[in-house]
Amino acid sequence: MMYVRALPTTDVNRNTEWFTYPGVWTTYILILFFSWLLVLSIFNCSPGMAWTIVHLAHFSVTYHLFHWKKGTPFGDDQGIYNRLTWWEQIDNGKQLTRNRKFLTLVPVVLYLIASHTTDYQNPMLFLNTLAVFIMVVAKFPHMHKVRIFGINADQ
Amino acid sequence: MITIPYLTAVSTYFSYGLLFAFGQLRDYSRLIFDWCSTNNLQGYAPICLAHEDFYIRRLYHRIQDCFNRPISSAPDSWVDVIERYSNDNNKTLKRTTKSTRCLNLGSYNYLGFGSFDEYCTPRVIESLKKFSASTCSSRVDAGTTSVHAELEECVAKYVGKPAAIVTGMGFATNSAIIPVLIGKGGLIISDSLNHTSIVNGARGSGATIRVFQHNTPAHLERVLKEQIAEGQPRTHRPWKKIIVVVEGIYSMEGEICQLPEIVSVCKKYKAYVYLDEAHSIGAIGKTGRGVCELLGVDTADVDIMMGTFTKSFGSCGGYIAGSKELIQYLKYHCPAHLYATSISTPSAQQIISAIKVILGEDGSNRGAQKLARIRENSNFFRAELQKMGFEVLGDNDSPVMPIMLYNPAKIPAFSRECLRENVAVVVVGFPATPLLLARARICISASHSREDLIKALKVISKAGDLTGIKYFPAAPKKQEEEKDRIKLD
Repeated sequence: MMYVRALPTTDVNRNTEWFTYPGVWTTYILILFFSWLLVLSIFNCSPGMAWTIVHLAHFSVTYHLFHWKKGTPFGDDQGIYNRLTWWEQIDNGKQLTRNRKFLTLVPVVLYLIASHTTDYQNPMLFLNTLAVFIMVVAKFPHMHKVRIFGINADQ
Repeated sequence: MITIPYLTAVSTYFSYGLLFAFGQLRDYSRLIFDWCSTNNLQGYAPICLAHEDFYIRRLYHRIQDCFNRPISSAPDSWVDVIERYSNDNNKTLKRTTKSTRCLNLGSYNYLGFGSFDEYCTPRVIESLKKFSASTCSSRVDAGTTSVHAELEECVAKYVGKPAAIVTGMGFATNSAIIPVLIGKGGLIISDSLNHTSIVNGARGSGATIRVFQHNTPAHLERVLKEQIAEGQPRTHRPWKKIIVVVEGIYSMEGEICQLPEIVSVCKKYKAYVYLDEAHSIGAIGKTGRGVCELLGVDTADVDIMMGTFTKSFGSCGGYIAGSKELIQYLKYHCPAHLYATSISTPSAQQIISAIKVILGEDGSNRGAQKLARIRENSNFFRAELQKMGFEVLGDNDSPVMPIMLYNPAKIPAFSRECLRENVAVVVVGFPATPLLLARARICISASHSREDLIKALKVISKAGDLTGIKYFPAAPKKQEEEKDRIKLD
């Protein structure tokens, strides 16, 4: 049995400190892989279509969770993170850490797999490209705390 | 150091992801159902934002019956736990009039003062008859009795400092004293696993807060160097004051603080040391004087020593011990002293009597026996649990031992299985602990007998087999039997 050490972190934000423990990256990749298998078995489509569906579903779920929802799911921290999305909260707002680089890479790799397995045909290519463009731009360091046209800004 | 099997970590993340997904689905369906119904609170702001209590509604309420269990007897080594039932899937719980007698592994009853004591209780009853239950006043108005003065002297002498101040509530001691000691322009460096009372006090003070890696003096030194070099944020002026806050025993880990190294680092960089001995005073050290005695640190090196009376002394309230000037300053400025009601006189008498028993001043050696028994009990219990293959945290001699559970489903399973066998344990999960590291926390008491501990071990072993939390291989017993057979031959 393989054991890993769980070193305590210095992150006080309970909403994001779970991302610094071992095993998260593997779980993320395994969830994507198993959902691809699930989509294949339910829809009985080609592998390329299944990857496109996984990519687009991943885009909608992660965009909502990382870049739309603000604050934390518990009230103990008295609302100091209520204006920050999850992406702006991780690693205490420090940019270009390992976790952020990994999370930026996953949608790009998914895009490459999805477009390769569908042979770069439209309309899937257009949807996939739009999704990965929005995802990667949202994760740029310059976009930290930026709300374009006031979308998702506070009152 | 916590060692997790990799598969367990991955499956724990999966479980939490599943719980989160189901919680969101339920929230969305509730939103759709409630679209039709109108409420007559138009124009009022919501009490809490929709997502703020997501965790409480969708995760905590499902296993609510494992927390907040009411008891109907004194928290001795055996306690009466009131039975509860629920008709709506744990959203509300109703109490019955029946109670079960359970082995108590959850109370902070380290020295056994939690129930009738032959020296303390008669004196407390006398004090109750003479002074009545409450002083009905704050300390500065009319709330200081001779017992309060005696208590402060007694505590100061016991802890090894020139003076002490006592407040009526342990949590409020931290959250009311820290803002008085430091303000804007100061720096508080606290251990990453410090208790909520310290976090609240630090946030309320207005000082800048930095966190160092739990119990790692090397990281503390790095943080101190960095912060002293940078100075205050934006103005870069030197800090007005730096206080480093650590705890004696960390209540969720059972680990003892590395005090000698931390004190030497703080001396080097001229920072003050604030030691919170809530769990360690009265429980460790040869005469129960806490972590300073155990690790051989001179009490003059620790600037502010704080502790509570709820754990080892069977009472309520907290104290701060320090130099005479510090305590005088606190008496003039601390809101817990000026405005809050003083500690009730019978509780103060309980503390004085408990300290007398511990020091042997009551004429018997029960205090020394209690201290020896709690050390024996903790070491025996911890060694047996580790032999069975559980992952148990905490240092030797520490009476707090968390057993790691990890998976969220094992939290209610372990707790309910133990209750079925009449053992009451406390389980803790997210957000009191990190997401991955849910645990069952056992607190050993000096009033537990050897039979109690053996029964507890049997029940925990059975519950552990059922829930699959023996993450380490059990120590082999067969080799010992063969060795015995060879010796007999």
